[in-house]
Amino acid sequence: MPDWKKLAAALDPPIPESDVAEIAPVLDALEAAFRPLQRSLPPDATMWTGPGDVE
Amino acid sequence: MTILEAAAALRSKKVSAVELVNESLDRVARLNPRLNAFITVLEESSRARAAELDTELARGLDRGPLHGIPIAHKDLILTKGVLTTAGSKFFANFVPDQDAEVAAKLIAAGAVLIGKAGLHELAYGTTSNNPHYGPICNPWDVERIPGGSSGGSGAAVAAGLVPMATGTDTGGSIRIPASFCGVVGLKPTFDRVSRRGVLPLGFTLDHIGPMTRTVRDAAISFNAMAAHPSGYVPPSNTDIRGLRIGLPRNYFFDRLDPEVAGAVRTAFQTAAALGGNIVEIGLPDMEALNTIGRLVLLVEAATALRPYLHRRTEFGRDVLALLDQGRLISPADYIDAQRLRRIYAREFSQIWTQVDCVFTPATPMAAPRIGQMTVQLGAVTEDTRLASTRFARAINTLGIPALALPCGFTKNNLPIGLQILAAPNHEDTILRASAALEDAMGIVAQALRVQKYAR
Repeated sequence: MPDWKKLAAALDPPIPESDVAEIAPVLDALEAAFRPLQRSLPPDATMWTGPGDVE
Repeated sequence: MTILEAAAALRSKKVSAVELVNESLDRVARLNPRLNAFITVLEESSRARAAELDTELARGLDRGPLHGIPIAHKDLILTKGVLTTAGSKFFANFVPDQDAEVAAKLIAAGAVLIGKAGLHELAYGTTSNNPHYGPICNPWDVERIPGGSSGGSGAAVAAGLVPMATGTDTGGSIRIPASFCGVVGLKPTFDRVSRRGVLPLGFTLDHIGPMTRTVRDAAISFNAMAAHPSGYVPPSNTDIRGLRIGLPRNYFFDRLDPEVAGAVRTAFQTAAALGGNIVEIGLPDMEALNTIGRLVLLVEAATALRPYLHRRTEFGRDVLALLDQGRLISPADYIDAQRLRRIYAREFSQIWTQVDCVFTPATPMAAPRIGQMTVQLGAVTEDTRLASTRFARAINTLGIPALALPCGFTKNNLPIGLQILAAPNHEDTILRASAALEDAMGIVAQALRVQKYAR
């Protein structure tokens, strides 16, 4: 998992450490759900452009 | 009165627009202290506008079914010369110098704005427990949340303060309060109703739509709000014979209150009895769509609100935590989420070769209590906010139209919401199916009882 505290300290304005501790578990869970999906992306995948973009 | 009833009464001169507005304002004066549904009430300007519209009608200028009908706007829709707070400290004194496009369209259609409805702070949450303007209460039980973020709109319509209020829906914010308050909420196809002049939360997820007491009122309102309306309003005895209705085999019935599941199954049985063709379908990975939608929203909201991030203490704690999460997600992950979104949307679109619409529960449970942080669903204890959005968020990720309407009540007399989905720009199919169900199930008539309860 990323070092959330380090990332948060580098932001402008930074996120206080105590606040990072509260959200880190939620971000870890999101990471765990998202990374496998991301790894499945084919190289030619392009971004969503609207609900009609389904052809 | 519904919009249809009021429109008929106006034209038969049984009532005037001024009388409709006065009745609305009287109800607001009586009930809003308990509900906190409104942030701003426009007594003088609404009475003056109603008088103008009465004069117009007397002269033969009829703007259509919304002519002289009192409405409310969610308080993040810009209204010229009228305070627009977004439920936030940052906009506490913001008075726009122009109307949002949807507000201008409703003015042109003859609607009378009687006030601005409260919401979850910055529309970023599902409880409408606003730290700056106070909690909004559910008219069915004032100790419960109305849902959010369009909680003031849902409460105002449910309590009969107005027959229509606008809402916005980024992860369920029209359909969740519709479900919890027992009203109809239509989230149109992405961009079918203009977002211009609506304070953004999720640039690719925000939708604007009507909240009403009946499906036909939703159709009338949608036609006035949409860029390219079809004009379709379901006729009486709407026929759904042969309509192919999808019954999801996966996800939507996996973890929910048994009373909700029972009411939704009854809706399927009713549709089948009306001649609908129920087709079991397998849906793509809805958990994946939820994950993608969450990530996209976290980044987009943090970007939309970036100018205010240095004023941390002026955000509510829950909103600040979400914004902080969004700031910690990389731009590359956001782009990859949008790439995944396209793949899953294309996969999902294949179901429209099998069915015309899909029925699902709108929310896994009825309205939780104010301040209730978790809900128990079967053996699982779940965060109230995540549970509320679980059946709604993926639909924003897809950008397809969806409508929530009441389909039953719990033993505690709380409304239960059904969600109906269709392919992009097929709002008419949704309205057709929901009008037939509304007529057959008689749920709207039951929902209107709330007016007596809230007196």
